[in-house]
Amino acid sequence: MSKKEKILLKASIAFALLFAVTPAVNAMHIMEGYLPPSYCVTWGVICIPFLAAGFISLKKRLEENRKSITLIAMAGAFIFVISSLKIPSVTGSCSHMTGTGLGAILFGPSAVSILGIIVLLFQAVLLAHGGLTTLGANTFSMAVAGPLLSFGIYKICSRLKVNRKVSVFLAACLGDIFTYCVTSIQLALAYPSESGGVAASAVKFLGVFAPTQLPLAVIEGILTVVIVIGLESYARPELKAIGFLKEAK
Amino acid sequence: MIAVDKLCYRSKLRYVNAGEKFTYSMLTLLFCIVSRSFVLSGAVLMVNTTLTVGKGGIPLRRYISLMAVPSAFLILSTLAIIVNISKIPLDGYALPVGTFFITGSKASVLFGLRLIVTALAAVSCLYFLSLNTTMTDIMSVLGGLRCPKIVLELMLLIYRYIFVLMETASAMLVSQKARLGNKDLKTSLRSFGRMGSGLLIRAFQRSGTLYDAMESRCYDGRIRVLEEQHPAKPSEIALIISYELVLLAYTVWRGVA
Repeated sequence: MSKKEKILLKASIAFALLFAVTPAVNAMHIMEGYLPPSYCVTWGVICIPFLAAGFISLKKRLEENRKSITLIAMAGAFIFVISSLKIPSVTGSCSHMTGTGLGAILFGPSAVSILGIIVLLFQAVLLAHGGLTTLGANTFSMAVAGPLLSFGIYKICSRLKVNRKVSVFLAACLGDIFTYCVTSIQLALAYPSESGGVAASAVKFLGVFAPTQLPLAVIEGILTVVIVIGLESYARPELKAIGFLKEAK
Repeated sequence: MIAVDKLCYRSKLRYVNAGEKFTYSMLTLLFCIVSRSFVLSGAVLMVNTTLTVGKGGIPLRRYISLMAVPSAFLILSTLAIIVNISKIPLDGYALPVGTFFITGSKASVLFGLRLIVTALAAVSCLYFLSLNTTMTDIMSVLGGLRCPKIVLELMLLIYRYIFVLMETASAMLVSQKARLGNKDLKTSLRSFGRMGSGLLIRAFQRSGTLYDAMESRCYDGRIRVLEEQHPAKPSEIALIISYELVLLAYTVWRGVA
């Protein structure tokens, strides 16, 4: 082997090891302090209309039925718990669900935006997943963009009379992939590549996180389907109460 | 169950005024990401480690393993920043692969290293807050900052129920494990999903009971909690102000120079 080949071999071994020993693969929260201040502020401002919409719908819901506060709080706690538990994975590294796709399907995207920012705040403070300065960017990708897409896909699929299991799978899985794409683009906008600008940088971020995020999205889809099946067979009255099973009456 | 939450109740700095700790960590965090310098971030990292481990009494080993939590993200995304694939080699390093080069400039490698140090310093600020301040104290600080009442109330309830649901979930996971529910990927996926739906059903049922319990204690749309008062000490305020002024001066000086 020539010297260069040796270096290349060593580099590739190091790269492979990196994936083998990654301690915890999260749903790609941008870590604390990783974004420049201007981007932190911008993403925060972009989130405001969505959060306001969520806040208004939350208030309306509580005025209609004050009892729903505990239900909404439970939903938030559920999203936090389900996203903090290790899920079975293919590679053996430990990874976590986002749970926001499920939340969006069950409770609607407007409720998830407020629940999402609370859950992200708890995740940042209690688990150091994400951070306080990057809260805006993470809220946009995980509590706004992903759930909106999940909800949209779910609605379109049910309009087109697609099998419910398939539509739940697609909603959760594609919502996850969309979140990962948005996060990569957020990182790329903040750190454009030296050769090729934002686009090249986005491709690099997508590529680096693909090995962990793509299997995760599929697993998240499968798990969401299993959870929804379980709910449909054991909790029909509750599902009707939150408006998920309206058409099945 | 949640390591940070357990540790913060043991911290010796727990009874220091929460507003002080919040202001200190937020301002320091801000200067870290604005200045993005080796010197300032290194200093902040050292000061925060001394405060949390030395003053707060958090075990060093726990602190280090907590600091490593975001390492996967840090390593992967910094790699994405400093590694380029291009036809023209850059001045930092260049590995030829076929007709292309895996390459990066000196400036970008330096930038990447600086980003790592800044991010670690920022995480240490976050940990200073979360390892020395209880979540309820943080929520009362947020209340002082005019965070909407409904949101605060939701936070309070969610925070309480995280632990209840976690306990339920871990009991379910243990019993699944005891019945070989995780013997291969297929069964473990099914088990986890069933645990999820079981958990959500329990959560729904509990939410009804919880509301009844709250109503029987005169819940009228607002949860009123007594807060412990720990007034800020003038000496601590002076120390924080002077520290932040030093950071500000350094940031401005670097910005000008």
